[in-house]
Amino acid sequence: MKLLALNSAQRQGLLGSALLSLVILAIVGAYYLWGESYQARMLYAVFVNLLVVVGLQVFTGNANITSFSHAAFMGISAYVAAICVTPMAMKVISLPDAPWGLNAFELSAVSSALLALLITGLLGLATGLFMARLTGVGVTIVSIAILVIVHSIFLYRTDIFKGNQALFGIPKIFDLPQMTVLVIVAIFFARMFRESAVGLKLRASADDEVGARAMGVDVFRVRLIAWVIGTLFFAAAGIAYAFYLGTISARPFYFNFVFLTVSMLILGGLRSVTGAVFGTLLISIGLELVRWLETGPNIGGIKFPEVLGLSGLLLGVVIVAVMAFMPNGIMGNREIEELVKRKR
Amino acid sequence: MDYLIQQSLNALSFGAEYALIALGLAIVFSIMGLVNFAHGEVIAFGGYSMVIMGTLLTNNPLVLMVGVVVACVFASVALERVAFRTVRGADLTTGLLTAFGVSIILQNLFLLFGSPRPIAATQFIFLDQTIALGSIRISSLQVYETLTTILAILALMFFLRRTTLGMAMRAAALDFEMVRLCGVRANRVIAGAFAISGLLAGLACIFIMARRGSVQPHMGFDPVLVAFVACVIGGFGSLPGAVLGGFLLGITEVAVLILLPQSAGGLAHAVVFALVALVLIWRPDGILSPAREKGDKI
Repeated sequence: MKLLALNSAQRQGLLGSALLSLVILAIVGAYYLWGESYQARMLYAVFVNLLVVVGLQVFTGNANITSFSHAAFMGISAYVAAICVTPMAMKVISLPDAPWGLNAFELSAVSSALLALLITGLLGLATGLFMARLTGVGVTIVSIAILVIVHSIFLYRTDIFKGNQALFGIPKIFDLPQMTVLVIVAIFFARMFRESAVGLKLRASADDEVGARAMGVDVFRVRLIAWVIGTLFFAAAGIAYAFYLGTISARPFYFNFVFLTVSMLILGGLRSVTGAVFGTLLISIGLELVRWLETGPNIGGIKFPEVLGLSGLLLGVVIVAVMAFMPNGIMGNREIEELVKRKR
Repeated sequence: MDYLIQQSLNALSFGAEYALIALGLAIVFSIMGLVNFAHGEVIAFGGYSMVIMGTLLTNNPLVLMVGVVVACVFASVALERVAFRTVRGADLTTGLLTAFGVSIILQNLFLLFGSPRPIAATQFIFLDQTIALGSIRISSLQVYETLTTILAILALMFFLRRTTLGMAMRAAALDFEMVRLCGVRANRVIAGAFAISGLLAGLACIFIMARRGSVQPHMGFDPVLVAFVACVIGGFGSLPGAVLGGFLLGITEVAVLILLPQSAGGLAHAVVFALVALVLIWRPDGILSPAREKGDKI
């Protein structure tokens, strides 16, 4: 039997992922029962963020090395998927001067998504080869460099990426049900990675690198694997983003999005998948509250940039407060099943 | 030939600015292992306080310059007291993320209380004049900038080698616990590091203001980003490394700007970052990284 091949931590992982999936299903169910149709868009956006944050947990959380380049990978994958899947007739209008015949072909949704995953994964492998060699701070700074490089390419090659203008005409392929399935699969995958041999080695190397090396852990190899898997999560999020919204531009794939997702991960706690999920949900709710307060009738007439300022302020305060008062986030090292049943 | 001299001066002044900022980052990192993302916001704070002082007090540029430097030192030391003291001794990621959060808070405060649009502050513009030396035309700002950076480096060297606090700081970079056991106050050493970092940020702020003539919430972000890369290239935490990395980046940037066609100007940063990232394949810890084995006490 397959279940016997799993150790107890992995069986717990399955249980935990199932519980988290129940939480997700409950939210989706609540939406279908009581939600209004505009909330579908919000919920979808939360799920895209959730996908990214869970992906962040795979590398940043398990290796305990902060990386900021996820928005870049998400952007690359979103653009690849969008350019491949948009019908030719549409692309002649939206990308009139695209080079290399980019506007003279179209692929099915499945092959576009696979191509986007493949290209982003290969880029992840290429960057990972030297990211995994770097030490702590180096990874963070170089990941920022990657973000800047990719963003300036998006802005520069307006003939392919349209820069800050919208690339439009992408057919709507995903909707909430598909996204829910994708999120649940991602949660299972991230959790099982955490409990796998590679995940365990990675966490060991995060706690004590010298010790882990002495026990025979190939730190370079496990970091590389986690980095590439993380990129695939971001790629999936990018695809889901492009396949739902219908238009994409370079603007969302930059620092603001990085701030948002990183603070979600920090609030929940870097080290557990449950933390990633809870952090995303909490910050999403918090931001909606802030926006609701801002547009409330009492304080009416606030201009848009100030709204941005206030929600940004909230994110910053959350990060600093969490770091100062509970450096391990809400969940710390715990997963959901450990909350439900007390320690044995 | 003239062109060559002119461009090397450009490279030198670009490099000087990056080196100035990178030094401010490196001195804090070398002592308390904090990657200070909020350094750019200290610079922006200097800019905003200059606007306030310029409208309320005086337009005398010399007074304003002193004011900017004092404001930056104050901001830097205050940040240490309020935000970074709680995460002292925590691991690298915690410190890094705290600084990251502080940076977001400050940026958004500038946004809320200032304005998302640039506010003009042109008192330092006079520093930027064109001087004709024979057939070479150079900007006086570039000369000031290069000279100030060299002076700052010399003064810093003197401070670190000849004064007690300076020596305590160098020792703290190697083994902080030991320095404390020798009876040096930890708070004083760390506050000293932040004060120096703020001083360097203040100097950088003056030159940035002279070039831009306006303040904006995100004004410190880009230069500090480049300075971070300079630090990583030079070897994070190494002061000579920060200077070397800064100048290296300045030279690369000017070279890229010359070699790249005019239309690709937007890609300059991308190319620079990509080039210097290649250095890290050769030396993952940076060029002048301190020789330190994993597992050494840090």
